[in-house]
Amino acid sequence: MKLAKYGLVLYIFLALPPVANLLESIMIVHMHMQMPLLVASGFLMAGFFQLKFPNFLEKWNSNGIPGIILFVIIWSYWMLPRAMDEAITLQVVELFKFISLPFLAGVPLRDSWKKLSSIGKDIVYLYFIIMFIVMAWIYIGSESQLCNNYLLVEQKTLGWGSLAIAACMIIYLLQLIFIDQSEFE
Amino acid sequence: MEQSLRETIHENPKKILGVNSQDAKVSLSYLTVAFVSLLIGGILGLVQGLERAGLIQLPSWLNYYQVLTAHGLLLLVVFTATFSIGYLYANLSHALGGLLPKVRKLAWTGFVLMIIGVAMVVTMIVLNEASVLYTFYPPLAAHPIFYIGLVFVVLGIWACCFGVFINYRHWRKNHPGEVTPILAFFTMGVFVLWFFASLGVTIEVFTLIPWSMGLVETTNVMVARTLFWWFGHTLVNIWYLVAISAWYVFVPRIIGGRHFSDKLIRLVVILVVILNIPGGFHHQIIDPAISQSIKFLHVFMSLSIAVPSLMTAFAMFVVFERTGRRLGGKGLLGWLKKLPWGDVRFLAPMIAMISFIFGGAGGIVNTSNQLNQVIHNTMWVVGHFHITVGVSVVLTFFGICYWLIPHLSKRKLTPKMNKIGIIQTLIWTVGMIIMSGSMHIVGLLGDPRRTSDTTYGGHEAAASWVPFEMLFAVGATLLLIGVIIQVYAVFNMMFFAPKGNTEYPVAEPEDDETPTPMWTERWGLWIVLLLMVVAMAYVVPIVDMLLNAPPGSPPIRTW
Repeated sequence: MKLAKYGLVLYIFLALPPVANLLESIMIVHMHMQMPLLVASGFLMAGFFQLKFPNFLEKWNSNGIPGIILFVIIWSYWMLPRAMDEAITLQVVELFKFISLPFLAGVPLRDSWKKLSSIGKDIVYLYFIIMFIVMAWIYIGSESQLCNNYLLVEQKTLGWGSLAIAACMIIYLLQLIFIDQSEFE
Repeated sequence: MEQSLRETIHENPKKILGVNSQDAKVSLSYLTVAFVSLLIGGILGLVQGLERAGLIQLPSWLNYYQVLTAHGLLLLVVFTATFSIGYLYANLSHALGGLLPKVRKLAWTGFVLMIIGVAMVVTMIVLNEASVLYTFYPPLAAHPIFYIGLVFVVLGIWACCFGVFINYRHWRKNHPGEVTPILAFFTMGVFVLWFFASLGVTIEVFTLIPWSMGLVETTNVMVARTLFWWFGHTLVNIWYLVAISAWYVFVPRIIGGRHFSDKLIRLVVILVVILNIPGGFHHQIIDPAISQSIKFLHVFMSLSIAVPSLMTAFAMFVVFERTGRRLGGKGLLGWLKKLPWGDVRFLAPMIAMISFIFGGAGGIVNTSNQLNQVIHNTMWVVGHFHITVGVSVVLTFFGICYWLIPHLSKRKLTPKMNKIGIIQTLIWTVGMIIMSGSMHIVGLLGDPRRTSDTTYGGHEAAASWVPFEMLFAVGATLLLIGVIIQVYAVFNMMFFAPKGNTEYPVAEPEDDETPTPMWTERWGLWIVLLLMVVAMAYVVPIVDMLLNAPPGSPPIRTW
């Protein structure tokens, strides 16, 4: 329950107007810092929901697949330039961001990850690597401005940032493959 | 009961055989280079202090900026790097039961590469072709051979890095289910950090070589500065990590205690490795091409390093108090009296630790945007790194010498040498308080750094700095005396001290300590996290600097 409290504190901190304004003022920080932190706050708070609604999660997410699909859909949706743009322009979409990322992505991720088979985990992992590479390609390559709220240079920065994340994920994968993980148990 | 000879040979061969002489030769060679450069760098430091105070006039063939460049590079790069490598390779050899032959070869390769590199760099400085100061960033341009020399130095360090990685991996493979000895863990942390730190400066130097040769007309000054500080600030924390390895592992043994939790020590190493590199940005708080909001976010990244530092402070004081009380110290502070103040192996690192309280506080001033506006490019900064590097790090290094060198040369630390060490430590401390203290104060009064003449035509504000500048000269004189004593002590212990055995004072864990979990050994994961943090910090400003780049600067020679 301690973790859930930390998650709530993080969530409230992220929702403070000056914090949200600062994080949203830079495109890459908006996508690659604020959004993951919102997911993380939900991930931390998930323990509370698992305790309060065990039957619901057991009934709808017994093998983890529905939860992880929800997570993937929600996160992928927020990778769209238009979604980010609208979050800044329309209050309703901003509200949806603050509800969807923690509660529809963070909570199901925590509930599903342990239930998934290793193949399921690999698929999710590979999906995110491919997604970040494609995003890097689009955001670096696009000659026109994709968001009304962010300049072209910020868009390219976001592209390079996504490429860096994809590269880190690939390095992590390679060390998982080439180093015997049983050494660390 | 005394162990039989047979048992000792089996269970603790190092006790009889001492250090592997081939490994000792590697370390002693590095330490020799370290202390020769300390002597030369120290003399240059005094020359600088006297010139700055207006007490001497340098001859026409030698100018202040040449002296400043050589002093900085010899002490900040050559002395610290060669000392750290010598010391850490000795630790690795001790902890893992000797170096592998191919690792020893890599260490020698690194040694030769570094010597070639330093010779090239120093030659260019002496010829007055490279008065670009220790930071060597553009638009000041040195002779191409200066930069090529730096490439050799980096290649030398990489050879040492790969040596450590290979030896560590080899031990890991052959000891399933065991955590690596704490000294090897520290060594791994330092060299991982060193490798990734040097990537930034390598990219910088490779862009500067064609530029200084005239093959490329201009270079992007902001990118070069950013890549330099990627390396430059990390180097600071490499020294720091080397110093705390001695604080955590050797100091507790020297005072007759046990070390603090093995798990906490490893956590500190991991945190320092992961969080370090972005700290470089606080060196660029005044730089125009980085937006205010990015600088603000970087305050968090720079200050995050305070977390492992405070953990270290806490752990060390616990060890001191616990040991002092065990030795019979009573009352609130009685345990302080029980510590072995007369032992240079303790006194030097202890003063180093105390000075880190002041050094760390000054560092927070430097990292804070508003306070930095007051002290940026003043003598305050010079005072700051003389107290951090010059005391916290260097006094720890000096303290290490008094057991490491006799151990490596199979000699003894005599009571007389201990006394010389105590005197040296006190002279050094007083000299540094005078010099660094006056530098801090005069910096607040506005005295600029990196400037040979600060009289400004006899302006009264500038005149008020003069008494403090005289104090620099007094402090620098004491420090040179300290350097001479230290160099004498080092070479005496290396070649002339009486033969005998000196213990490698590695502290043991407390009896009731829980075993360290194996996840601390996941270096692959720590490196990925390090890269993530670097990406978080550097992608935004560097893309901005490249895509919104100004025309760039041609090479400029101001001398």
